[in-house]
Amino acid sequence: MKATLEVINRMQADGVIGKYAIGGAVGATFYLDPLATLDIDIFVSLKDRQGSPLATLTPIYDYLTSRGYKSEKEYLVIAGWLVQFLPPSDALDEEALQQAVETEVEGAHTRVFTAEHLVAIALRTARAKDFARILQFVEAGVLDSSKLDPILKRHGLLEKWEQFGVKFLRGPDPWGRDNL
Amino acid sequence: MSEWMRKVLESKRATRQRLRELSFSEKVKLLEKLRDRTLGIAQSPLRKDRRIKV
Repeated sequence: MKATLEVINRMQADGVIGKYAIGGAVGATFYLDPLATLDIDIFVSLKDRQGSPLATLTPIYDYLTSRGYKSEKEYLVIAGWLVQFLPPSDALDEEALQQAVETEVEGAHTRVFTAEHLVAIALRTARAKDFARILQFVEAGVLDSSKLDPILKRHGLLEKWEQFGVKFLRGPDPWGRDNL
Repeated sequence: MSEWMRKVLESKRATRQRLRELSFSEKVKLLEKLRDRTLGIAQSPLRKDRRIKV
């Protein structure tokens, strides 16, 4: 993955993309035990090319395919990893991208979403595997309620969080505060 | 819960905790092994044969 990140960092240095951060299962692995996955989700801020409000991934595809990297369905294959580039789809993604934490993989600099943003995005996405991942975060004790609660409130996810608590944990408050 | 099952669960928890505490670089190496193993299983002819029979 070091080589993959170096290519992405070079693309950033060349001005094709702005800030980026790792989300999805690889992002979650920063905080949890490793989660099997075949791809890397790269949330990426795209440079505004012609003032268009619609984000386009074309510059990324052009940059990478002109350097010999292959595309495979919605992915680009970079140094053995299937990489999916995702422009922020809403204010939550934008915020996650801005507040991502700095880290490195074998010396290659990168950024990863905070645990709280990963959970909020999983809650918004709401597939079975997203709920399973949220449970892993809760059980691992790596979430900070003083950070997560405001994120959920800002992005209209408090009701979903309560429903998650009722369905999978002990009550409407997934932190268990109502059962203390 | 039986004593045996309690020990199994405790062991699983301890292993996950140990894995959680690895550096991101070390976790990524494990991810790559998991990915390669998953792809190996998916491409196995034995798996394809079985799928045809079912």
